[in-house]
Amino acid sequence: MARLTVEGLTKSFGSFRALDDVSLQVNDGEFVAILGPSGCGKTTLLRQIAGFDKSEAGRILIGNSVVSSAATHVPPERRRIGIVFQSYALWPHMSVAENVAYGLTVAGVKEPERSRRVDAALSLVDLDGFGQRTPAMLSGGQRQRVALARCLVTEPGLVLLDEPLANLDVHLRASMEDEFVRFHERTGTTMIYITHDQAEAMALADRIGVMDSGRLLQLAKPSQLYREPANARVAGFVGDGMVLPVAIRSVDGDGTCAADLYGHVVRVRCEPTQKAVSAAQVCLRARDLTIVAPDAAGVAARVDRAVYQGGFFRLEAHVEAAPDKLLHLTVPEPFMLAPGAAVKLDVADGWIISGTGRN
Amino acid sequence: MNVVSRRTFIVAAVAAFVFTAVPATAQVPSGKLVLYTSQPERDASQTVAAFKKTYPGVDVDVFRSGTTEVMGKLAAEFSAGQPKADVLLLADAATMEALKKDGRLLPYPQARLDGFDSGAYDADRTYFGSKLITTGIAVNTAAKNRPASWADLAKPEYKGQIAMPSPLYSGAAAIMLGTMTARPDLGWSYFEKLKAADAVAVRGNGAVVTAVANGEKPYGVLVDFMAFNAKLKGSPIDFIFPAEGNPAVTEPVAILKTTANQPAAKAFIDFILSDEGQKLAVSMGYIPAKATVGMPSWYPAGAKIKLMPTDISKVVETNSANLKRFADLFGN
Amino acid sequence: MSDPIQMIDAGGLRERVEDSALLWSLVLVVAVLSVLPLARLLLEGIAPAGHLSADALLRVLGTSSTWTATQHSLVTAFGGTLLAVVVGTLVALTVSLTDIRGANAFVFCFVAPLLLAAQVVALAWLQVFGPSSTLLKLIGIAPPMGSRNPLYSAGGIILVLGVQYAPLVFLTLRAGLRSLPQELLEAGLAGGAGPMKVVRTIVMPLMTPPLLASVALCFVSCLGNFGIPALLGIPGNYLVLPTLIYQRLAGLGPGVLSEVAVLSVLIGAIAVIGIVSQDLLLRGRDFRTVSASAVARPFELQRWRLPVEVALWTLTALLLVLPLTALVLTSLVPAVGVPLNFESATADNYHFVLLEHAGTRRALRNSFGLSATAAIAIVVIAVPLAYFLVWRRNRLLRLVNLVTEVPYALPGVVLAIAAILVFLKPLPLLGVSLYNTIWIILFCYLARFLVLGLRPIISGYHQLDRTLEEASQIAGARLLRRLVTIIMPLVAPAAAAGALLIFLTAFNELTVSALLWSSGTETLGVVFFSFQQGGDSTYAAALGVLTVMVSFGLMLATLALANRLPRGVLPWRD
Repeated sequence: MARLTVEGLTKSFGSFRALDDVSLQVNDGEFVAILGPSGCGKTTLLRQIAGFDKSEAGRILIGNSVVSSAATHVPPERRRIGIVFQSYALWPHMSVAENVAYGLTVAGVKEPERSRRVDAALSLVDLDGFGQRTPAMLSGGQRQRVALARCLVTEPGLVLLDEPLANLDVHLRASMEDEFVRFHERTGTTMIYITHDQAEAMALADRIGVMDSGRLLQLAKPSQLYREPANARVAGFVGDGMVLPVAIRSVDGDGTCAADLYGHVVRVRCEPTQKAVSAAQVCLRARDLTIVAPDAAGVAARVDRAVYQGGFFRLEAHVEAAPDKLLHLTVPEPFMLAPGAAVKLDVADGWIISGTGRN
Repeated sequence: MNVVSRRTFIVAAVAAFVFTAVPATAQVPSGKLVLYTSQPERDASQTVAAFKKTYPGVDVDVFRSGTTEVMGKLAAEFSAGQPKADVLLLADAATMEALKKDGRLLPYPQARLDGFDSGAYDADRTYFGSKLITTGIAVNTAAKNRPASWADLAKPEYKGQIAMPSPLYSGAAAIMLGTMTARPDLGWSYFEKLKAADAVAVRGNGAVVTAVANGEKPYGVLVDFMAFNAKLKGSPIDFIFPAEGNPAVTEPVAILKTTANQPAAKAFIDFILSDEGQKLAVSMGYIPAKATVGMPSWYPAGAKIKLMPTDISKVVETNSANLKRFADLFGN
Repeated sequence: MSDPIQMIDAGGLRERVEDSALLWSLVLVVAVLSVLPLARLLLEGIAPAGHLSADALLRVLGTSSTWTATQHSLVTAFGGTLLAVVVGTLVALTVSLTDIRGANAFVFCFVAPLLLAAQVVALAWLQVFGPSSTLLKLIGIAPPMGSRNPLYSAGGIILVLGVQYAPLVFLTLRAGLRSLPQELLEAGLAGGAGPMKVVRTIVMPLMTPPLLASVALCFVSCLGNFGIPALLGIPGNYLVLPTLIYQRLAGLGPGVLSEVAVLSVLIGAIAVIGIVSQDLLLRGRDFRTVSASAVARPFELQRWRLPVEVALWTLTALLLVLPLTALVLTSLVPAVGVPLNFESATADNYHFVLLEHAGTRRALRNSFGLSATAAIAIVVIAVPLAYFLVWRRNRLLRLVNLVTEVPYALPGVVLAIAAILVFLKPLPLLGVSLYNTIWIILFCYLARFLVLGLRPIISGYHQLDRTLEEASQIAGARLLRRLVTIIMPLVAPAAAAGALLIFLTAFNELTVSALLWSSGTETLGVVFFSFQQGGDSTYAAALGVLTVMVSFGLMLATLALANRLPRGVLPWRD
């Protein structure tokens, strides 16, 4: 199995900076997701790691060997990695078995060993007996699994997955997620998973790297990303957080502080080294907001709309004092207030964003 | 006779035999001979086959194509500095004159020319006419009219029904153009009249005979042997000798200066000019250059063909100007 | 890792060396094939007999006939291309996208005119329209003797050119349409667009690469065609550049080769401008369609089906049956002009051509060998060459791309002359001369027809998704293996279209071999030409019919192999 190290990777296409000084380290056997919106550079990163494009600056190491640097560029066929492409890239002129066997044929593995391993790989993805079909006869989910089997049969040290579930329907996605998790547990392969779906990332990954505009914003465990986002963009992207301005009144030594949120003082978490400043930002989560009685202490807000989600509502509101600051929370059925009604919201928890990215 | 003189006699006889026979054997041509020709393919192969019967030691390689192609190939070979041809047998003397001017031809003064008209060969013995090919009027047997002279073709009843070989692509037609435009009774006005009569100038005599026999253009300006060979096969075509006379080409043969096999090349010329070679031409349907060997079967018995005289050097001199004028005249 | 070499060379040096080696050998091959003869010709143009001189250049560029011929060339090339593209596209769309019956048979017949040499087709059409038309005589509506044949005009040239090259457009486009996935059409239909709109707004834009490829190919083919304007233009002195060159050659003046060289450069320049335009139009656009999904299901024509089928077969009748019948009829008469009836019909012509004339059998063998070798060799060169051209985008290769057009655009006689200039003397290291062997003809065929293979294959690449190659890279396959196992099968339809085009064109080729043949190396075109020039049209017709029958037989034989070939390779088999 292999460890992946990326140091200061930069890549531009003309004047467009696709990757801007990206560094990360993936440990042996880890499952890391790279999360970000379209155009953030995650696919570029994957292509750099795979070796399809040359980098301008920085290094990439797989295991202990340098595969990309100013001086070297190991071609993709030598990197001993596996890729599951977003479009699956199954070869239409070959059967499923031939698709899966390709890597073994290239490596010189002969019969009967080759067939044995192909059958084992197909078994692993629950496609026993599909060997003679052609890709054109398969459904999206089945093609997905063939792509995975093809990737795994050569037992690579590192597997890259490029938005593999993007083309599948919701139900299939759930079962495929299980598939990936099981697979990872069984084989312990180092996996790098590119996605724009944060729920997916949270469910699957050991650690998540959030990217935006070519920069790696934060690389941390899912819970850490959720609970302690490094900056406003991470906060917004992961867990759909709300970022609001606060003034910190006092900092307690145990990692909490008192913050003034539009006149309502709340107790939120912060870095132990946080100072009491008048201009800070807090990240709030929907589950930490509750509606309180109109005369209780809380943040004054106005209802914008309530969207039914099956048993509960997603309530969208804005801060009375600052109409451009939007809030949202979940409210159980039934909910009677109409748009424009006034509500009072209490905050149970939050996180002071320290502003700097952190690994 | 005493013994000594008999032996001397025998030795002398043997010596005489050796001295005369050996050089004779040494001069028997052998090896490879390369011939470039624009004759029709059938005639070329017959000529070569007959030549090889007479000179079995010579292996002949023939390149046969249109005159333009042969000249193009030669030009390229000259340019590249290594011409491969030994002998040339081309359609007309104008082409040969051009080569002669370029210094490409080897004179063969020892060629046996008794019986040949002086107009048939070059005064400097660089090229020699092998036959006489006249150009006359070909007529489809179903055609309404029968022209008796060149001037007749310009009459209104022939409008739009005449095909002629284009001098821009046929050396023989170029000679015809040069010859006829030099005559006061025809001249350029004749061709202007032909143009007014919508005469069509096609690429080569082969196209003319096809057009006339097909009836597409019931009247054509055509070389004699093609008309008669077609007639023999059954095509509905007749050949007329016009009153003013026939322009003619001699299909000359020549040796290239750069030949690698002079004896064989000279032997080829000898063969062409020999009675045997001339009789072969007759059997192929041509009028021979040496009139005494006989005439082809189609030749009207006892007739005398009126040939239009050709001043070959004048034709060559005025050739490019003539061609340009023709192109301008017959252009769209 | 068990491979010790891999361990030593972990930096990918081997791959880089292999890549470069392949690239440079391809560049070398193209340079030898395309650049060498042209450079030698150019040298002849500006430095005849070794002395630098601008005489020929000024003489040629200063005469009005040069520019008139250029104008005529452009007119006929654009006109012929337009006609060919319209006809070829309509037919390709109808055959590939609708449910007409007998599609395979129709494709077979539509492609067949490519089997006939251009001059045969032109001659047949001339005869059909003329007063001697055996066909029209049979029906009794032959025009009166002496009426001017309407084909002797620019319009006639454009008509015959368009008809000659419509199958070329068809072949290239059909290969592209084969890879159109169903989803794209269905998405359009689901969006509310009718079939015509789907074709106009979805299919045609996606077919831009093969369409542009065929436009470019057609343009260059029309530009460089000699046989048709020779037959239809010379009588009226309507000259195009190739026939002007021929006329200059026939003129016998000194320095004729340098004039020919200058005129050739003019043709080459026009051809290059054409290909540059095609490149610019394709740049930066995405036409990838090849995927693992099933091929589009055909549109149902319902009540339009019969009329469309009738229209298509009528077209075939005009384009194939008519000239072929004229040819057959001519081959059955004992001499030109003899009306055909039961008494006059004879097999003598065939007897002579097949059994007596030794050259014919040799020519059949030679032409077949040359065409098949050229088709295969060119495809083998073109697939990797197109890989580098489309996916590696090397600047040197762009130049190479332009150069390949020129040997095809030039008149055959000029290419032959260039080859003679280069190969007359023995080759430098080997000491062996290619001149007067069959190898010089093969060389010229490779140089001349390379573009016929390259253009369709390039458009095939434009339709491929590169991740298919990347996936095989990840699986560890190096360049050569990727080319053979992944790329080749995927571009196979396009490659086959190219190979077919090359074979059919080379089989009937005339103008190049007319100068380069020697005893024993004659081609079918050479034999045909000499029959025609000698006035033996009946032998020529018999040979023409035999050629067509052999080609038909070969095309039918491919059906026997059809099962082993990847899908889409044979245009006449689904």
